Amino acid sequence: MKAIVAGTLLLCTFALVKGEELQCSHKQEELKTDPNWTDMKHSCINSMRTQIQAELRAAMQYLAMGAHFARDTVNRPGFAKMFFEAASEERQHAIKLISYLLMRGELISDVSTLIDSYIGVEKTEWESGLEALKNALQLEAQVTKKIKGVVKVCEDQPGPNDWHLVDYLTGEFLEEQYKGQRDIAGKVSTLSKFMDKHGALGEFLFDKKLLSGEL
Amino acid sequence: MKVFAVVVAFLVAVATAHESCYSQVDQACSKINSKPGLDQELIPCNATYGHINIVTKDLINFANTHIVRSFEYLLMATHYGNYQMNRAGFEKLFRGLSDEKWHEAIELIEQITTRGGVMEFVPPKALNGVEKTNNVYQLYEIQSVAKALDMEKKLALEAFNIHKEASGRSEGKHDPEISSYIEKEFVHDHAKTIRKLAGYVTDLKSILSGPDGSLGLFLFDEYLQKQ
Ligand SMILES: [Fe+2]
Repeated sequence: MKAIVAGTLLLCTFALVKGEELQCSHKQEELKTDPNWTDMKHSCINSMRTQIQAELRAAMQYLAMGAHFARDTVNRPGFAKMFFEAASEERQHAIKLISYLLMRGELISDVSTLIDSYIGVEKTEWESGLEALKNALQLEAQVTKKIKGVVKVCEDQPGPNDWHLVDYLTGEFLEEQYKGQRDIAGKVSTLSKFMDKHGALGEFLFDKKLLSGEL
Repeated sequence: MKVFAVVVAFLVAVATAHESCYSQVDQACSKINSKPGLDQELIPCNATYGHINIVTKDLINFANTHIVRSFEYLLMATHYGNYQMNRAGFEKLFRGLSDEKWHEAIELIEQITTRGGVMEFVPPKALNGVEKTNNVYQLYEIQSVAKALDMEKKLALEAFNIHKEASGRSEGKHDPEISSYIEKEFVHDHAKTIRKLAGYVTDLKSILSGPDGSLGLFLFDEYLQKQ
């Protein structure tokens, strides 16, 4: 009994001497090799990482479009709303890709370099709503092409075809890309028909329809 | 001499004419063959008034800081989502902060344009001189909360600074619309977030000085998941 008391006292003193020291790190299970359960290949992982950046770059470009059409001397709140929403959507795409990699046991290391510390935008002004919509369509077509590039890498990599990721990208991501592109293409034609005879008035009406979600 | 006086009078007239939107529109309407707004922008007809110009640059920087912070919080959340860290509660905490900064960035852009400003996409001052090391967002639980607390305090001080710039009544730098906006949208929320994070650091400190930090972190993470 005395021994226990003495032992406890010793422990307490030890803690006191140690003062504010905290045990911040704890045991980490290293499951990478034993058992070997993660099976994504390097080239495929890297192309996914690049795609995450590409989605965020698209988000930033849409943010710039929103900022332009929100200006007092541009005054197209419908366009601004549409582009701000598109920006948040692109950010969600990046998050979905991150979640996928996490699900597959990736992003254990090199997380800090996954996103550049600053992502700039290429263009900040547009002549008209029509020009911006055409730009958006081009941007989406480029993203689609890049996703196909990821699919190709993850199919043809040395080692087995990554069926599950390829299925996810073609089934979910490309589906959304094609629907999105169809939607923008439709808006481009409607707007150019509006503007054919009515120019500024056409854009004004189109903008208000965008704002109230009637397109 | 007379000619000079006439010229001066003319110049003064032109200058005052340009100060009002109405007079510029009026002038443009009287030129039968020119349409207003086509060959020249109607400069006094924009939305700027008051002392917005003093704070526009700061608001732009503030918006850009939010974008950068949003991505940083996203990386911190990602780290806690991996199977080794496996802390869904911490992941949720940082994802929430990331979402919040992103939406505030959009709101700031809208505020800048509401007051006739033009958003610029440039690296914020917060990035100056910060060298990005490899592990900067892969932190232990208490470290990441401490980092978030520092980040939030810096944002709060940036908001204070904008507020100060817009409140210099005596120096003629008075823009109550901006100071009220900063108060309503940022100042009070910052106080709540900072208090919350400081409280988390307090709890984590006592948990980690206890006998079983690992179990403590598990329970704390579970608590965060329910927040
Ligand atoms: Fe996307």
